[in-house]
Amino acid sequence: MTAIRGAWVAACLLVAPAALTAQAAGVEQRLEARGVPAGLAREVAAIAADASARGVPEGPLADKAIEGWAKQVPAPRIVSAVRRFAQEMSSAREAVRGAGIEVPSGQVIAAAAEAMRSGMRPEQVRTVVRAAAAADIAAPGLSVAAALSAQGLGGDQAVKIVVGAMRNHQSMAELLDLPSVAREMHDQGMSPGDIEHRILDGGGSGQQDGKRTGDHGDRPPSVPPTSGHDHETGHLIAR
Amino acid sequence: MRDRDVFGADAHRYLDGEPFGELSGAEFAAADRLVAEAREYAQRLGNLDPALDEAVMAAVRDRVPSRQHGRLDWLLAPRTVRVRPVWAAVLAVAAALVVWFAPRASVPAGQGAPSVRTATDTVFVRFELAAPQARSVSVAGSFNGWRVGALTMSRTAGGVWSATVALPVGEHRYEFVVDSTQWVPDPTAHAQVDDGFGGRNSVIVVGPKGLVRS
Repeated sequence: MTAIRGAWVAACLLVAPAALTAQAAGVEQRLEARGVPAGLAREVAAIAADASARGVPEGPLADKAIEGWAKQVPAPRIVSAVRRFAQEMSSAREAVRGAGIEVPSGQVIAAAAEAMRSGMRPEQVRTVVRAAAAADIAAPGLSVAAALSAQGLGGDQAVKIVVGAMRNHQSMAELLDLPSVAREMHDQGMSPGDIEHRILDGGGSGQQDGKRTGDHGDRPPSVPPTSGHDHETGHLIAR
Repeated sequence: MRDRDVFGADAHRYLDGEPFGELSGAEFAAADRLVAEAREYAQRLGNLDPALDEAVMAAVRDRVPSRQHGRLDWLLAPRTVRVRPVWAAVLAVAAALVVWFAPRASVPAGQGAPSVRTATDTVFVRFELAAPQARSVSVAGSFNGWRVGALTMSRTAGGVWSATVALPVGEHRYEFVVDSTQWVPDPTAHAQVDDGFGGRNSVIVVGPKGLVRS
């Protein structure tokens, strides 16, 4: 019986470091599969393993390294960017935990980090996460808030819109539609304040639906901004 | 030699209470002795301890099946398992550690990216860029592992390049790649964000209902 107990304890002690090693190897293999030099892959994997031990997801770090490599960024700058991103996600993780989620998912952490990089403050992140009725809506909520903020609405306005949508029990589809709605209103000449009031008053996606129905990808060819015409270039949807 | 071995057919009928023919004296004596023993045994059964049934069934349940029944019988037979709660907790912790730290090398690139996959829905998104002087244009982003050339665009009238791709709902980051070397943000995207390398990534948030334009 003593031998069995000892084996269990040894297994538990061995699981964590062994899994961490395997995880780091996974990042390294993934980077090498994309043609990243072995030395750079090892360095990124070490950063990812260290971050993972602190509860930070390693996937986005590997993705960032792959992005940098694809953009032909010099290796030292890739390492620097990955290390900075790991730190940003660590800060984002603390911000999310401050909203009451003790063990936030990698998706929420990554979304919070990107939102904070876009200019959202930790308290704004916490506000969005707290307003999310379910954990799976927190990440898209943060992404939408960040997109709205980057569109010029301002962080507080963006957070107010997203929180309002969540408290009004709007669907995921409506939530994810908000950046498109805001963009459309902006193109119509509405100010950020008007956009906020219009969306919060319920004049958002519903109004756009009718217009979208007729589009289905049949929008005329766009005209490039560089040619001096209106900004009509965009992404057309045909479901 | 047992008594029944010396019995003939008539002796068996006698014991069964059926009509019988001629029996020898030895057969009568043996049969009567068997009947007497049977009565005595029945009398003992009538005075059994009421707890005997339960004790016997418990012994049967706890009995270890012999290997003669086969491994399948052993696997299928119900049995009582005794587990100390402390070891159950240790097992749960070990399982949680294995799941948490399991290598994720086989996870596709897009799933570990900052992009948010909130549903299984995919939406067709059309990208367009006016680049009359370009020889080639493609879209590289979080949805295709930033692979240059993975999503090539076609040149249309007026030097406008376009491509349509099915994307999962959620947030996506991307850039146009002109002539395989020049990374260009989409000026009409939902947002432009710092890419961490001194450049800008374009952001689109794709909803399940689709979007009209960025």
